[in-house]
Amino acid sequence: MKLLVAEDEPKTGTYLQQGLTEAGFNVDRVMTGTDALQHAISEAYDLLILDVMMPGLDGWEVLRMLRAAGKDVPVLFLTARDGVEDRVKGLELGADDYLIKPFAFSELLARVRTLLRRGNGSPTQTTMKIADLEVDLMKRRAVRGGKRIDLTAKEFSLLELLLRRRGEVLPKSLIASQVWDMNFDSDTNVIEVAVRRLRAKIDDDFDLKLIHTARGMGYMMDAPE
Amino acid sequence: MKHLSLTARMSLMFMSAVIAVLTVAGLSFNMLSQHHFKMLDRQALVEKLESTKHLLNNARGEASLSEELPQLRALLGAHQDLAATILASDDTVLFSDPRAVEVPERFRRANEQNMWEWQNGQHMYRGMTAQISVADQPEPLTALLILDVTNHTHFFDTLQRWFWIGLIISALVSAALGWVVARSGLKPLRQVTRVASGMSARSLQERIPLEPVPQELQQLVLSFNAMLARLEEAFIRLSNFSADIAHELRTPVSNLMTHTEVVLSHKRDITAYEENLYSNLEELKRMSRMIDDMLFLAKADNGLIIPEQARIELADVVYKLFDYYHLLAEERGIELSLTGTGQAQGDRLMLDRALSNLLSNALRYTPAGKTISVLIRQAADSTTFSIENPGDTISSEHLEKLFDRFYRVDPARREGSPSNAGLGLAITRSIIEAHKGRIWCTSAAGLTGFHIELPHSR
Repeated sequence: MKLLVAEDEPKTGTYLQQGLTEAGFNVDRVMTGTDALQHAISEAYDLLILDVMMPGLDGWEVLRMLRAAGKDVPVLFLTARDGVEDRVKGLELGADDYLIKPFAFSELLARVRTLLRRGNGSPTQTTMKIADLEVDLMKRRAVRGGKRIDLTAKEFSLLELLLRRRGEVLPKSLIASQVWDMNFDSDTNVIEVAVRRLRAKIDDDFDLKLIHTARGMGYMMDAPE
Repeated sequence: MKHLSLTARMSLMFMSAVIAVLTVAGLSFNMLSQHHFKMLDRQALVEKLESTKHLLNNARGEASLSEELPQLRALLGAHQDLAATILASDDTVLFSDPRAVEVPERFRRANEQNMWEWQNGQHMYRGMTAQISVADQPEPLTALLILDVTNHTHFFDTLQRWFWIGLIISALVSAALGWVVARSGLKPLRQVTRVASGMSARSLQERIPLEPVPQELQQLVLSFNAMLARLEEAFIRLSNFSADIAHELRTPVSNLMTHTEVVLSHKRDITAYEENLYSNLEELKRMSRMIDDMLFLAKADNGLIIPEQARIELADVVYKLFDYYHLLAEERGIELSLTGTGQAQGDRLMLDRALSNLLSNALRYTPAGKTISVLIRQAADSTTFSIENPGDTISSEHLEKLFDRFYRVDPARREGSPSNAGLGLAITRSIIEAHKGRIWCTSAAGLTGFHIELPHSR
């Protein structure tokens, strides 16, 4: 997967490149809008991450010219402003997502993966398996080690989310938004409690733990192959 | 008139008023005097005409007529401006004063009792004509009495000239007076101006004194002082807010610095570094959230938060929030209950957030084993949402300020609870106010309630 990061703030740019590279992406970095446009037109990227405020061309200009040139690569905007009109402008121009600075890197990573997956049109699975845990999405049933696990509706949704995005660290805000439709940061520890309860049912009786905590960032489901 | 100063306007108005009054008075005086002179003239003419008639009636024949003429002369000679002409029926002059002037033909035929006027060059005459029958004469004689009133005209000319001079002088004097009056009348206004121009952010507590100001200006001064009070309040709130920001951010920043420096001062194993980074990350996330919240509040203050207008079933919102918070409530043995339904017009995301803040706030202060009850009531023109929880009673001095940013009932708790920056209720209030609603808090007998009233808009 090849990404282009256009960010004029050197520190942010470097960290983004490092973080994304370590997450397994192939990352090019440019510092001006003009370079971003040039790269995006001449090379094939899977995703562009554009800062709105850049010297030369701003992010919106780059996007406009890119779309005019017939490139429909997904674009994620990074912006320090969060005025409503900014969002509307970005989305009207065909941006696929935006993040307001300061943002958590785990949040960016989650959004990047969502956008890349959207392009692939992931196949609709009805059953999923990780280690000895089997989940039937149609019947809403989970079985681990041959033993049926009783889950509430929300616990099942949480498990499904973790499973679908196995190997990814999911920020708490993303979990709250996807499972409970809470689309704002709440300063309570509801997610911790929910994950703790799910763990009690999924992991406590087994030596191989599937749900992992990425401290300060979120939760992840994974198992060694 | 637009650009004239108030003083100039008042002087001009003063002057116009004086001119108008004097002109009316002058014109009336002029007309009355003219009338009076006319009456005097008529009286004199009628008198002399009667005497003339009498004299001529006594005469017998031509000879006798010539005898009477000296008497006639004596009669008329007494009046300096009066002249007489007596004509026979064939227009031959029987008698004429040397002063008598030749009058046009039409006056010889004028009706008796009618006084005529004749302007001849510089001279002005008034006269009367009478037909007098004399014994032994077949035809009556015509007597013309002519009064020279040129003197009267001169008098009126002089009068008019002095009237105009007087008028101009009065106009100038009244303008000057008007200026003086306006200046002294507007003095309090200049005082107000002086205070106002001396105002700056540092002297906002100053007020314009009300006592020396005349009644007409008191309302202005009161409004001005009220404006100053509002500005001062906003300014104080803003300065407090900045101070709060500095304070709230200083603590985490100094934590980050100290912690990082201490960790770097020695070589450590990798887990110690990791520990430090995690701890920093938590601190940074808290700061980031605080910045987000403060940005939201700043935008709300500037009226930039414009809620969508969707029809929202409040019970649905509450059930969704219960769904989210019930894990937390269960852990602490707290019951959540909802009574009633009601609809509101507004922005789903914002109302979610406002009610979520109230619910998490209630969860924080409810003792284990108690119940948090939510009550929704729909009235004709508004919907009320109340959330009540048992807990320590909040004294009334704190109730109003609960919604202020960074306000905490117990100042010592400021540093204590890391997850609660003290902005939640302020955000809830700005959301409700953006929806044109009202939020207030009650607390009595160990029961604290937050109440929201949302109008059914438009």
